[in-house]
Amino acid sequence: MSDPYKALGVSPSATDEEVKEAYRSLAKKYHPDQYADSPLKELADEKMKEINEAYDAITAQRKAGSGQGRAGGYSYNNVGGSRGSAFSDVRSLIMAGRIADAEQLLNGVPAERRNAEWYFLKGSVLYRRGWLEEAKDHFSRACQMEPGNGEYSAALNQAMNQGTGMYGGYNPNMAAGGCNTCDLCQGLICADCCCECMGGDLISCC
Amino acid sequence: MFGYVRPNKSELLVREYEQYKAVYCQLCKVLGQEYGPASRFLLSYDCTFYALLALAVSGAKLTEHKKTCAMNPLKHCRYLAGEGEAYQKAAALTVLLAYHKLQDDIADEGFLKSLGKRLLRPFFRRKARKAGLRYPFLAESAEKAMAAQAEAESAQAGLDACAEPTARLLSQVFGELAGGDARQEMPLSQFGYFLGRWVYLMDAADDLPEDLRTGAFNPFIAKLGFWGKTALTEEERRQADNFCNAALNRTAAQMALPLNLIDLMNFEPIIENVVQKGLPELQREILFLHIKEKPRREL
Repeated sequence: MSDPYKALGVSPSATDEEVKEAYRSLAKKYHPDQYADSPLKELADEKMKEINEAYDAITAQRKAGSGQGRAGGYSYNNVGGSRGSAFSDVRSLIMAGRIADAEQLLNGVPAERRNAEWYFLKGSVLYRRGWLEEAKDHFSRACQMEPGNGEYSAALNQAMNQGTGMYGGYNPNMAAGGCNTCDLCQGLICADCCCECMGGDLISCC
Repeated sequence: MFGYVRPNKSELLVREYEQYKAVYCQLCKVLGQEYGPASRFLLSYDCTFYALLALAVSGAKLTEHKKTCAMNPLKHCRYLAGEGEAYQKAAALTVLLAYHKLQDDIADEGFLKSLGKRLLRPFFRRKARKAGLRYPFLAESAEKAMAAQAEAESAQAGLDACAEPTARLLSQVFGELAGGDARQEMPLSQFGYFLGRWVYLMDAADDLPEDLRTGAFNPFIAKLGFWGKTALTEEERRQADNFCNAALNRTAAQMALPLNLIDLMNFEPIIENVVQKGLPELQREILFLHIKEKPRREL
């Protein structure tokens, strides 16, 4: 492996804390959980492995100190499976990343056999292709047809959450509005004035 | 393209801002050198971002120097030259996209309104041909995208299908920056796909009121069920803005992941600023503040 310090982007003179901090921020960046539905997953796994190795190498080099390595580190697992579904072949194609094949199979399903799961899987295919709006519409159709299903509602929730701007983009409710310290004081003084007009008092000293 | 991809200036460090400006000025200079002084007017934020990314990915060695500005003899500018072909490619892309934009406008507008643009067309065509000879893959990608765009719009396709050509274009153009490195090509082209998609959706959202007035095609009209309307009530406008914003946010959310995996040797904070602060700021300006007159060259 190349220089572990370079992999973490810190200088060899960095303190243990700085190394840990650099490792943490990189691990957050590459954490495979967020790549679960992405074709980039493999690359993210590789990067994660790289920084894990780099961090372990550095802590091993420095074990003159406390001697503890990456406590547990970031581990992850992937879920997904067919659980006796009508479209298990489509599911396994999607999991193998063969999106075009999965879509072809789905498109071949006649209209009367298109149930909630079909809409969910079609939505997943569209999502992986980057057709985010139609994907959302398909997830929401799946949820309408089978409201209690956790898998479908999780997919719809994700699409809706990503629309709020929490994960990138602009959230109109966060920047605008709100109330800073200045507004707070002003509000209190106004309330005090009103009270005084009516003969009462809110802030006795002014 | 459309000038939407730019940093949020107030969130940049001063030295980062100066670097960005120096790249912008250098691209202007290269445009002048390669395609004649008149093509300097085609300079755009989008292609500056492309140059920035190309320099960042290749890790080109950068050298800075100061000289008088070509457009304003009283001003001194910093120029940030880089090894390799990043600026040349960005200049070619500028010229090619400007030519296709002109073609598109001529096709959309009436005879009289497009008269000026018709007169300019031979000039643009010459420059575009020159750029195409030098970088055939850029010309090919741009041409394919324009043809696919025209097809999608004449078929009145849905939102996602209409965004596909622009998304594909940036995906190919960014993917090429990896220079054949498969490890980098994947995240670069993914990043390009969603940035291109974002640009298309932003442009469509920006044009929505105008397209309703003139009756031009816009994928959001069908999606929101505004058939046959020429103006929107305040309530409808708010609903449209929120819908467009959610679609843009969903797209922006997809950009962070591939960007994490791209190895940026230079300009990392500037590129992150563009994606994390610049794009949201533009959504705010256009969809919530309704700034129609976009400040053009305040940089």
